[in-house]
Amino acid sequence: MTKKENPELQLGLTEGEKRTLRKRLGREPNALEWAMVDAEWSEHCSYKSSKPVLKQLPTKGRYVLLGPGFDAGAIDAGDGYVVTIHIESHNHPSAIDPYGGSATGIGGVIRDILSIGTRPIALLDSLRFGDIRSSANSRWLFKNVVRGISDYGNCIGVPTVGGEVGFDPSFEKNCLVDVVCIGLGKKENMVLAEARNSGDSVILMGGSTGRDGIHGVTFASKVLSDESENERSAVQIPSPFVKKLIIEATLEAVATGHVKGLKDLGGGGLTCGISEMAHEGKRGIDVDVSRIPLRESDMSAVETLISESQERMLFVVEHGYESEIEKIFDKYDILHANIGRVTEKDYLVVKKGEAILADMPVETVTEAPIIQRSASKPRHIDTLRGVAPPQQPLDLSETLLTLLASPTIASKRWIYEQYDHEVGVRTVVKPGQSGASVLRLDNGKLLAITVDGNPKHCYLDPYHGAAGGLAEACRNIISVGGEPVAMVDHCQFGDPGDPEVFWTFSESVRGMSDYGRELGLPCVGGKVSFYNEDVAAGSAIKPSPIVAVIGLIEDASHIRRAAPRNEGDRIVIIGNTKPEMGGSEYYEYVHKLTGGEAPKVDFAAEKRLWKTVLEGIRKGLIDAASDCSEGGLAVALAEMTIAGGRGVQIDIDAVPSTCKRLDDLLFSESHGRLVVSVAEKHVKSLVELAERNGVPCGVIGVVKGNSLIIKSGGREAVSLSLKNVRESWSEAIPSYMGEKQ
Amino acid sequence: MSVLNKYTVNVAIENKPSIRDPEGETILRDLMIKNGVTQVRKVRTAKLLELEVEAKDEAQAKTITEKMCSDLRIFNPVVSLCKITVTGEAK
Repeated sequence: MTKKENPELQLGLTEGEKRTLRKRLGREPNALEWAMVDAEWSEHCSYKSSKPVLKQLPTKGRYVLLGPGFDAGAIDAGDGYVVTIHIESHNHPSAIDPYGGSATGIGGVIRDILSIGTRPIALLDSLRFGDIRSSANSRWLFKNVVRGISDYGNCIGVPTVGGEVGFDPSFEKNCLVDVVCIGLGKKENMVLAEARNSGDSVILMGGSTGRDGIHGVTFASKVLSDESENERSAVQIPSPFVKKLIIEATLEAVATGHVKGLKDLGGGGLTCGISEMAHEGKRGIDVDVSRIPLRESDMSAVETLISESQERMLFVVEHGYESEIEKIFDKYDILHANIGRVTEKDYLVVKKGEAILADMPVETVTEAPIIQRSASKPRHIDTLRGVAPPQQPLDLSETLLTLLASPTIASKRWIYEQYDHEVGVRTVVKPGQSGASVLRLDNGKLLAITVDGNPKHCYLDPYHGAAGGLAEACRNIISVGGEPVAMVDHCQFGDPGDPEVFWTFSESVRGMSDYGRELGLPCVGGKVSFYNEDVAAGSAIKPSPIVAVIGLIEDASHIRRAAPRNEGDRIVIIGNTKPEMGGSEYYEYVHKLTGGEAPKVDFAAEKRLWKTVLEGIRKGLIDAASDCSEGGLAVALAEMTIAGGRGVQIDIDAVPSTCKRLDDLLFSESHGRLVVSVAEKHVKSLVELAERNGVPCGVIGVVKGNSLIIKSGGREAVSLSLKNVRESWSEAIPSYMGEKQ
Repeated sequence: MSVLNKYTVNVAIENKPSIRDPEGETILRDLMIKNGVTQVRKVRTAKLLELEVEAKDEAQAKTITEKMCSDLRIFNPVVSLCKITVTGEAK
């Protein structure tokens, strides 16, 4: 039977949702209406499960121009400039077609930035894969995802300035591919996704509409199975060259002032585009399918309305100025069609010539019934908390080398050397120089940006794990001298119908919300991606909330990097180290042990750390700074020596700590800490500053020689040559990928 | 013990017919149509690997190549077609 004969056959709607739709319409919907509502009510478009939870996130702040609910968040960067930010994932498509899936993911997030009328200026990615050492599938996914990002980003001329990558066996089948895009524009050119004035024209611009990506949103709202190999209609093929033209043509059109509404067509296709623009503008929209340029002439209206073909934008153009805008599209040789108009009556009407194919009130389509999910704490959380700690290894130097070669910690040069991170010449702090990147804005200010998340911590403690990912991102912003101003989050979990998965999701959002409120950091946007599950293994991914944080730097002299610059400078740790070993790379990678107490976030302590470090940087006391995260203090010190090309001698007993074991002290991933290098003459002032702010701090060593030496009780607990440290760290990933350097 | 021969095997990897080929579309639009070529209506691109394979006969050369392409993921079965043809004995 074909879909035409039985419209309900491929629907993802539940019986209850079908009843709701029939009731709201007061009649039996036709095939097209079913399909449109099916797309719009998918989890992916409607957030029907997550909406009640996401409400907790703080969204207001002094820099916020646009918060959640728009295509991208927007921040006031001063002097009439606006910075936009958005995060998107393309997990399901990347799991079956890593090259095309990751590339189209970038294409999607770039369109979101463009939809506000801002130019995309930078990309960051957050990636998760399984064990690349033992799994050929994970290596294949990793290699092709990176290649997809690199080819696409390089073609469209938007630099990939940073990101992070983590590895954990739970991502074996479901890799995660998150892309963050940053945009820059003028406040006066900002456009929203709305259709506010009846009579305005609706113009579809970009690629033609084909069968690719049909049912993409219902695909993303399902669990992966072996069947997925055959779900090829959900595979979309990227075309970066067309995208580049779309960027230029869109920005030129927006600058005329006659674009009254703008939205990119992504998940849910045209259906989502027209219904959400009509909803936002409190109007209706009429479209004529016979005017939509199709790639294949035999496409049905259903296929046309839900196709997720790439590289398409929907413009609402002021009546009377259509030809002016169309001339711009012609100049760039981009396909466009005037497919309908904005109407006074708030109905969505789809016609074919004069025949009416669908006719529904806007609210009927856009207001998906909220699903109240039940939540229960996963059983593993209490059981794993009490696992017995491992034996301390005899040779801690060897342990540190093992950790440095862990894929999650090891150098990511293999990845970022494939990306163009400098095109556009805005990049001031580059990948590999710090935990955050810094970009130059047109008004002379600087923007710091980073992305973080820790699924291993979240698995054991989703509340503190999610808050901790945010805390880590903020510390990375602070370490380059930036003041965090806004964040976007992306929550990636398994099936929300599983109460344990839903509990974990809710706790994660609560953690991020509390952190945001306590530290005054608003959330300006985000996404939720559920159904990241593997049918074969019968397991969901580890909970993966990811956050991107942006910060502003007023003065270029406040920029800091991770590398200590001068022999004789002192190494100071700010913040307290606790025996919080659960989910640490040390437990997970070295001891293959999942369990223990995951690090907790002390909001007040984080706030005091922010204040102290930013003040220390602005006063010129701190010369270099690095966050202490995966792998703990020992790895942070090793990374500083690699970055600076200089050795350090450390007295670990000077570290403020409540740890009883040396391995805990070296490898704990406690929050609230930064390691900094300071000129000898400034040490006293920095220590006083920390004391005034009530932050524990210890002068733990000196930049000296060609070795990393860590002493405990007067004896060398770790002693490694710089060459040894660098080799373990930098050669790990190329060697796992079968390449020797 | 049978003697092994060398066969030339061509492996063509192309997007499935239902999947777009932006490179082919660009060649058609920007190179051919823009330069006045009107007879060409469609362009599809592919990657061609020409192998020399040792096997006892053509059928075995093809089987060996098919297995290798699938095991090594030389193509992604979700997106691409892999057409394997044995063009004869290698010289």
